[in-house]
Amino acid sequence: MRKLKIISVLVLSLLVLLTACSDQGSEPQGTTTKVGFIYVGMIGTEGFTYSHDQGRLYLEQELGVETMYQEAVDESAEVETVIANMVDQGCNVIFGTSYGFGKYMLNVADQYPDVKFLHCSGAQDAENMNTYFGRMYEPRFLSGLVAGLKTKTNKIGYVAAYEISEVIRGINAFTLGVQTVNPEAEVEVVWTHTWYDPATEKEAALALIDNNCDVIAQHQDTAAPQQAAEERGIAAVGYHSITEKNAPEAYMTAPIWNWNDYYKSEVEKVIAGTWTPENVWLGMNDGLVLLAPLTENAPDGAAEIVEEYQSKIIAGDFHVFSGVITKQDGTTIGEEGQALSDEEMLNMSYFIKGVNGKIETN
Amino acid sequence: MIRISKRLELPPYLQWLIRASSIIFALIIMSVFLLALGHNPIKVYSAMVTGSFGTFFRFRKTIELMIPLSITALGILVAFKMKFWNIGAEGQILMGAFAATFFALKFAYLPRPLLLILMAIGGSLIGGLWALIPAFFKVKYATNETLFTLMLNYIAIKWIIYLQYGPWKDPQQAGFPKIPDFSVNATLPTLGGIHVGWLILIALVIIAHIVMNKTKFGFEIAVIGESKNTAKYAGMSVNKVILSTLFISGALGGLVGMMQTSGVHGTLSTSITGGIGYTAIIVTWLAHVKVHLIPVIGLLFAVLIQGAFFIQTAFQIPHSVADILQGMILFSALGSEFFINYRLHLVKNRRAKRVVK
Amino acid sequence: MNKVIELKGIVKKFGTVYANDQISFDLSVGEVHALLGENGAGKSSLMNVLAGVYQPDDGEIIMNGERVTIPSPRHSIDMGIGMIHQHFKLVESHTVLENMIAGVKSRLFINYKKLGKELTELSQRYGLQINPFSELNMLSVAEKQRVEILKVLYRGAKILILDEPTAVLTPQETARLFDIINSLKSDGHSIIFISHKLDEVIEISDRITVLRKGKHIDTLKNEHLSPRSLTNKMVGKAVELKIERTKTDYQDILLEVNNLFVFRPDNSQALKGLTFKLKQGEILGVAGVAGSGQKELCEAIAGLQDKITGEILFKSENICGKSPRDIINLGISMSFVPEDRLGMGLVAGMDLVDNVLLKAYLKQPGIFVNRQEAQKEALNLIEKLNIDTPSVHTKVSKLSGGNIQKVLLGREIELQPELIITAYPARGLDIGSAHKIYDLLNEQKIKGNGIIFIGEDLDVLLKIADKIMVLCDGEVTGIVDPDLVTREDLGYMMAGKKLERGEVG
Repeated sequence: MRKLKIISVLVLSLLVLLTACSDQGSEPQGTTTKVGFIYVGMIGTEGFTYSHDQGRLYLEQELGVETMYQEAVDESAEVETVIANMVDQGCNVIFGTSYGFGKYMLNVADQYPDVKFLHCSGAQDAENMNTYFGRMYEPRFLSGLVAGLKTKTNKIGYVAAYEISEVIRGINAFTLGVQTVNPEAEVEVVWTHTWYDPATEKEAALALIDNNCDVIAQHQDTAAPQQAAEERGIAAVGYHSITEKNAPEAYMTAPIWNWNDYYKSEVEKVIAGTWTPENVWLGMNDGLVLLAPLTENAPDGAAEIVEEYQSKIIAGDFHVFSGVITKQDGTTIGEEGQALSDEEMLNMSYFIKGVNGKIETN
Repeated sequence: MIRISKRLELPPYLQWLIRASSIIFALIIMSVFLLALGHNPIKVYSAMVTGSFGTFFRFRKTIELMIPLSITALGILVAFKMKFWNIGAEGQILMGAFAATFFALKFAYLPRPLLLILMAIGGSLIGGLWALIPAFFKVKYATNETLFTLMLNYIAIKWIIYLQYGPWKDPQQAGFPKIPDFSVNATLPTLGGIHVGWLILIALVIIAHIVMNKTKFGFEIAVIGESKNTAKYAGMSVNKVILSTLFISGALGGLVGMMQTSGVHGTLSTSITGGIGYTAIIVTWLAHVKVHLIPVIGLLFAVLIQGAFFIQTAFQIPHSVADILQGMILFSALGSEFFINYRLHLVKNRRAKRVVK
Repeated sequence: MNKVIELKGIVKKFGTVYANDQISFDLSVGEVHALLGENGAGKSSLMNVLAGVYQPDDGEIIMNGERVTIPSPRHSIDMGIGMIHQHFKLVESHTVLENMIAGVKSRLFINYKKLGKELTELSQRYGLQINPFSELNMLSVAEKQRVEILKVLYRGAKILILDEPTAVLTPQETARLFDIINSLKSDGHSIIFISHKLDEVIEISDRITVLRKGKHIDTLKNEHLSPRSLTNKMVGKAVELKIERTKTDYQDILLEVNNLFVFRPDNSQALKGLTFKLKQGEILGVAGVAGSGQKELCEAIAGLQDKITGEILFKSENICGKSPRDIINLGISMSFVPEDRLGMGLVAGMDLVDNVLLKAYLKQPGIFVNRQEAQKEALNLIEKLNIDTPSVHTKVSKLSGGNIQKVLLGREIELQPELIITAYPARGLDIGSAHKIYDLLNEQKIKGNGIIFIGEDLDVLLKIADKIMVLCDGEVTGIVDPDLVTREDLGYMMAGKKLERGEVG
């Protein structure tokens, strides 16, 4: 027992000494631009957060600015702490990449008037805060073309997260793509009520496959549905980022994000002192969203038809949601020769004809 | 060969010395890890402290974490004192938050003090009732409360998600699932820059101390914890005490739920707990189920969490490494309890050797 | 004679307390050496040193002429020492054979048939009569004890330590055990026999070592020894062994039990239609082999059994099925000293004050507990009953068995109850304290209070009780007048045999 006492006292005094010697000063605050990223998930090797982190690395590489990030931040008041910490570290541009961060970014935005806040997928802005997002439904439509050509059973499975407009819009766009090339095919939807839960999502995909689906698409943050397809030897469409190595035999393509150009131009504006908060919803013509290159798993002829629609969309000659669209319940929306407004698309709460699935409305 | 035997009680100063050494041990091990990642461990550790207290904002955030941790731990304490393993605080917090949010959203027109009191009562009541469910089944059918309370957590989480994506979805959020923000009337006022929860915490610690140590009810809880047979033998209404205790335990969790929604996050979502319901279990345990130690351990944990959070940004340490650091310290802290209660003997000879004199 | 084991100057301290202070002890080949002493005399500590559980602070252990250390129980077994504990360490759901191989150095394959044959032979050689393939939960207590003996023999023990082996046995079973001990002895085994029953020690042992308060008092050859002379050595002074039976002439019935059934949680019957009466100022002794329904009887009256039918009339008020709280609320003052002292009567982890409070707090006014009052009462008990404790704030689990019993009994009697139910009140007490307890009970009897006395020492029951009810397997074998029966008679009744004489109403 005495030995223990002596050792502990020794270690304690050593530590006190070391602490006293170390400098307590915080990092020097520079006047240069420093960019902070707040992520809701872990960076990992695929998915939504990964795609943003690619953008962050691009910034470092292209503009030589310093960046920092924090992963796995809850959509709660925790965000305020992260912002404070980042500002303490000298950040003057902060990207928050989840919808739920908005309230807390807004809460503290006026406390840091010199810091620019950019909120991905948000809805509220301020004098030093904007919102930005991408028209993911455009590449989703293109991925629908690929899936529609691929299916033999004319049943395509779609593993979806939650019954919200963003997801519903994606399913409808995808279905429109499928039906463009294959009017017989239907899209079967299963809700997982998770964003990130590989086990549940895989289960859902397997259930769809058991139900005779031979292509799996997804609105999830993991590659689990694609892995289920891989295991059963059928084809899959990914999401968020290229995941070919997760399912080499199944993966055909994926609607993905490319934040590089947007992030670069915004930070350049900040450096130049010309940044103003501008809320944007950018599409394929801005390069923010795109369809990943097709792999060998994609069906013959897909590349050509994707190319055709892609150039039409980029040129503004084609809108995914245009003309008269028949809803699941038989009613219609839209007028011949006109596209749905952004407002209508943002509040989409119905499935179109050809989707098998239910939206539990309240 | 190592033999383990139970120790006689150590004097308190030695116990604390062992605890301190074990934390230092964890820090030293982590230093190697941090050095390998290219960080100066001393800087990282001191940043954990400055990250918790360095500015008033950080201090506020640390206290805002300590308040719910400590109150939840008090709730867990009353149940644990009775050896009722309530690990459902997470769910009790969420259900309390649900009730508070109900009033905040549906009665937003009421005057602020009235609305806040309604929210607090509603939160405590529902949190308490949520904890009564496993207590009832335990008393009536001798179900396992550990599993039962744990499972109820998941139900509570799914319930909140249902509300968020369904009936309580804010129509003004462009289709995004989010429960509306609270009005000012439904927001806890601040005192000294921090929401008034800190006053409530002080009051609750004092009350809990008196109840547990001076009242008949506290005495009954302690006796039931030691032996239900003895309690019955002594004429206690065991079931009644179990039910009331669990109601109180859950009500404290529910109150935390109200304070988290109203005082900190300003809305309801599953992330308002931030895992407090589970962390508070460890707080209770390390406080040796003693009321007066709860705020102390609660503060230590708030510093640990807040500090680990700060160094992620300050040093760009990945989330997982910060998690390992927290886990390491926790592991050592819990491990030290083993060395306080047991001693190891190194037995040199493997077989019985006869040594001739 | 050859010495197999010699202990020289063994010292074992716990903190500042000496459990063993310079104790010397030796054991010869083929000898039964009894270790005699009151509770807390240091018998268990000394044997735990031999079993490798404790390391002595001083002194030496010599086996077959060589000095050894016994660092762990495993080493002790390897050295041929086998301890048969009071509480058996057997797996109930396993067969005898499976219990034998559990914990023995693992072998990949087990030849059950061969092993079974070996065990049967071993069992027959010493008259153990154990079938290696029967399941433990089918065996009686005495048989389980023989399984324990078989187990240590199978592991190669030449030295057997029997810790209070007769405590759980009927007189007939005890005689049987003694036969086994004698056959082990004649086969060259050495036996250490721990007990505080003087008659048995005189009957079975070759030599007797008496310990008192951690010190070695004497080692005697068993020749012309009388219980009285041994008692003197055990307690240090001559103690009057005689127990008075006080005569009272109360006539009123205090408690009347009619056709009482108690069911266990699995719905089997623990008590099968018990009927008896207890008068004021009367002691009803209850005898029976452990587990015959004594516990259920006490708990049924005290309100602690749930599944129960029949009538329990306390002064013609039926309290059958009422909870302890209900009984208190009816204004009935009843004390119960349960067999399980730390599991029911007291809270092991609490101090004396809180344990006194346990029975007092309900009667205190207001919502707060009054610990001052309880502390006064605790100090009173310490003084009155000579309770040996560092302070009133010591946890009762830290006290010795005898002192624990004094706290419990003292508290219950101080409540001035009309009915006292006591299960084995003198168990673990030294002779002086036991007599003190008997005196206290007699005092209560004079005051007109009724007493149910569950006993195990038949001699004590015969002396103190006004009538004795013998239970066997949940049924009353008979209620007899102690003046008309002998301890052997009681033994027969405990085995379920009706007696023709001595029956009282």
